Amino acid sequence: MALLEIKNLKMDFGAGADALRAVDGVSLTIGASETVCLVGESGCGKSVTALSIARLVATPPANYVGGEILLNGQDTLKMSNGELQKIRGGVVSYVFQDPGASLNPVFRIGNQIKESLKLHRPLTRPSATLSPAGGEGRGEGVRVLKNVITDYDTEVIRLLKLVGIPAPESRIRNYPFEMSGGMQQRVMIAMALASEPKLLVADEPTTALDVTIQAQILDLLSELKRRLGMAILLITHNLGIVGDMADRVAVMYAGQIVELSPARELLRRPLHPYTKALINSVPKLAGGASRLSAIPGNVPRIGNFPPGCRFAPRCPIAKPECSEKIPELLEVEPGRFVRCPFWK
Amino acid sequence: MESTPPNLNPIALSPWQIFWQRLKRRRIAMIGGVILIGLYLISLFAGFVAPYTHDRLDRDRFFHPPTRPQLEGFHLVVPRYEQQPGNFIYHAVQGDTQPIRFFVHGEKYKLFGLIPASIHLFGTGDDKYPVYLLGTDQFGRDVFSRLLYGSQISLSIGVIGILLSFTFGLIIGGISGYFSGATDTVIMRLCELIMSVPALYLIISLRATFPPSMTSAQIYAMIIVILSFIGWAGMARVIRGMTLSLREQQFILAARALGQSDFKIIVRHILPNTFSYVIVAATLSVPYYILGEVVLSFLGVGIQEPSASWGLMLNAAQNTEYLKNYPWLLAPGAAIFVTVLAFNFLGDGLRDAADTKSI
Amino acid sequence: MWSFLFKRLLHMIPLLLGVSLLTFLLMAMAPGDYFTALSQNPQISPETIANLKAKFHLGQPWYVQYFYWLKNILHGEFGYSMAYKIPATALIFERLWNTFLLSFFAMIIAWGIAIPLGIWAAVKKDSWADRGCSLVAFVGLSVPDVLLALLALWFAAATGWFPVGGAQSPIHDLLTPMQQFWDCAYHLILPALVLAAADLAGIMRRMRSCLLDTLRAEYVTAARARGLGEGWVIYKHALRNAINPLLTIFGYSLAALLSGAFIVENIMAWPGLGRLTIEAFFAKDSYLVVDCVVMATALLVVGNFIADLMLAWSDPRIRLK
Repeated sequence: MALLEIKNLKMDFGAGADALRAVDGVSLTIGASETVCLVGESGCGKSVTALSIARLVATPPANYVGGEILLNGQDTLKMSNGELQKIRGGVVSYVFQDPGASLNPVFRIGNQIKESLKLHRPLTRPSATLSPAGGEGRGEGVRVLKNVITDYDTEVIRLLKLVGIPAPESRIRNYPFEMSGGMQQRVMIAMALASEPKLLVADEPTTALDVTIQAQILDLLSELKRRLGMAILLITHNLGIVGDMADRVAVMYAGQIVELSPARELLRRPLHPYTKALINSVPKLAGGASRLSAIPGNVPRIGNFPPGCRFAPRCPIAKPECSEKIPELLEVEPGRFVRCPFWK
Repeated sequence: MESTPPNLNPIALSPWQIFWQRLKRRRIAMIGGVILIGLYLISLFAGFVAPYTHDRLDRDRFFHPPTRPQLEGFHLVVPRYEQQPGNFIYHAVQGDTQPIRFFVHGEKYKLFGLIPASIHLFGTGDDKYPVYLLGTDQFGRDVFSRLLYGSQISLSIGVIGILLSFTFGLIIGGISGYFSGATDTVIMRLCELIMSVPALYLIISLRATFPPSMTSAQIYAMIIVILSFIGWAGMARVIRGMTLSLREQQFILAARALGQSDFKIIVRHILPNTFSYVIVAATLSVPYYILGEVVLSFLGVGIQEPSASWGLMLNAAQNTEYLKNYPWLLAPGAAIFVTVLAFNFLGDGLRDAADTKSI
Repeated sequence: MWSFLFKRLLHMIPLLLGVSLLTFLLMAMAPGDYFTALSQNPQISPETIANLKAKFHLGQPWYVQYFYWLKNILHGEFGYSMAYKIPATALIFERLWNTFLLSFFAMIIAWGIAIPLGIWAAVKKDSWADRGCSLVAFVGLSVPDVLLALLALWFAAATGWFPVGGAQSPIHDLLTPMQQFWDCAYHLILPALVLAAADLAGIMRRMRSCLLDTLRAEYVTAARARGLGEGWVIYKHALRNAINPLLTIFGYSLAALLSGAFIVENIMAWPGLGRLTIEAFFAKDSYLVVDCVVMATALLVVGNFIADLMLAWSDPRIRLK
């Protein structure tokens, strides 16, 4: 059983006649200890897909109209609030784009990490398989094994050390604004790890940081994954970081996955015209003086998707029939899926 | 861009069109706007709409209760009211009525303060059958007519006051933000000084600098000057802040590089960028000016008898005996409430439509 | 934090000096003075008037008068009320206390009702409760203080449940301390309610929008993503942050409150600073007007300083910088 199985997820913003389809039939599987990258331009639906895993998109305005999100075999779209609170942090943790905005400015970082610990790893536990904290009767069935801890402060310091924060003993009493962006993101990661999740969703975790810090954070994520063995869903618009991190890559365009491939193969030989265009628009240091090519046109807005293949208006190889019917996402080679009949 | 298919590019609307479309969707703002247009039109034609002039005394009918028009056949009629001897209690005399007629000849007035006229929108044409829609006050003056005449003062003070103080606020704030340095420091300290005194205390001290007895026109001008003297400061502060951030923008640098004068840059490039804020802030501030006049006149240091203003009329209602027995004297209060509510409705809608969240 | 507070404290001095200078200047520009009326009184000899004038340095230019006034103030002397014929110090502080009492209780009532209502409206956004609250707030924002005070006066006169104005009953001095306390409370309640009602709507709307803003913040989503319960997320993470912008509007709210108190005092015969200002204005007692304006400003400035203190206490970003 895969850790996460998203099946044909469909989500609208708004309801009835005003409904705008933001996610249109996304299917994605993540195995335990696997790293998957979800790549796409802003507004393509990758962030809402990721947030949907723990149902973090407010409903309304969001409206789930179809599909399933199986996390550990249970559909999060059908969970009660109590069950959701168990899996949030307990099974899946999030690291967001802007650590400065994601940390609560008025609480000390030690307290914020402790909050997660208290919730998901209570100190006294008669048996190792006790259901996570939060009261009786809620979240039955979501049982997660956690390491036993005896003292919160020690564990907070251990976590801060784990994410590479120097002198963690003195840092736990700091407020977020007293730290640099890179340190803040490390705190966010420590907080996400505090509850020992099976899946870490990192939503553009380096976009708001300085370039030099970006590499450090990505290295940290790879390192942690190696040591802790959790799965990672990394969301990014930057194809440049895909090669170092990902086992598999899903490329999203206008609410749909257009290509899904093992990372190396996708970078070496992209199949979908959109993926090709994306790769050609990334500047390379090595590789001579090939011209950068921009993708003509704009990303279609939600609610204003063209008929047929959504990339057709910007596609260099588009044919008249492309605008008639949305192509299927087909497995054209083992493990390689592409939503374009003219991929050859 | 030329390869972009048309369906990806919606037809571009000007900012004003977008603003207007958003505003139209806010029903409550439109209601506020319509009420205000109605109020200002009535105020403009006060002499015509009012059945009497503001200073006509009916010495036989002090504290006359509001007349109740009745439907008799196809005519609206008003009954004659008889006073109980010895007190101000009136009773309608059954069967003794006169029809209300439209466009009747009555007292002389000047339309817009210029054109002599004597046609009134409605009336009975017979002084024994007066139409006092909101009763009379302690001098036997028609409250409804005074309300309309009073609106000319109360409503216009808001608009003129705003125009004056916002003009000063815009210019001074623009200068302060654009030049910064010592000019800026002095102006901002002055603003702070003015804003740190609770408004009414400052208003009273300012009032003291004017002689106690003046003509109506002088008092009217004085009130505007006083309210504007206080009002410009807040505006100037905000405009200064906006100018400071606009000053660093590329298009201002470009204008400077082209050798435009400082004054022209402020007036042509910086101030227009603050307009959506200014319009919203102005709409939401008009009530403060109206209320300023009301309070001044109410306290007896503003508009003087026999002129009519809403604040002055409310002054009579301060007497608890009057208030208990003749509650129609509170009618100007209701008028103020409706006006302020309409301005708030409109201002709130404008703010949402202009998307200037910071106000 | 200390340097922040010290700066704020230091800031108050030039402000109060400036306000007193400005008011003094305005009073100096005022036509006529108290003695104009006195000198028309045949019972008072010109010598007496000349003596009084000399005592108050009224023959001197206004800036000289100002320095004498300032010197006296710094010695805790507010001079002599020419209209009341008693030392101004006692008068001013009695009135200041009354205004403070009225404003303070109005503030407690207003914030005590507005904050929970604002939170409720924000949490139940777009529900009928929210719409009802915002409609009431809209109406509340539009009712002028003058009308509200007059309606309260009408209510008191019509029902007889509340005293029609004043701060104490005529027999106040004959009552036991306990009865005196209740007598004060009985007189205070209606003016305080009127003043609170005028202030309530604005605070409620502000609380609602502040909380809605923080509920949209990323750290709220992040807190939810950690599995925290909705109540914990709203009342700990969001509300704790929504308080800070609310504290920064405290100053504006206090300024509006003092202006409102001015109106309520004058309509409901509450013997506070606002009423004294008007009385002094009509009596042409310029010194007393200046004293009142400066004291009212001081009340506002001190209120703002307390708000700064609370903000520094509440917001670590200010406290630690």
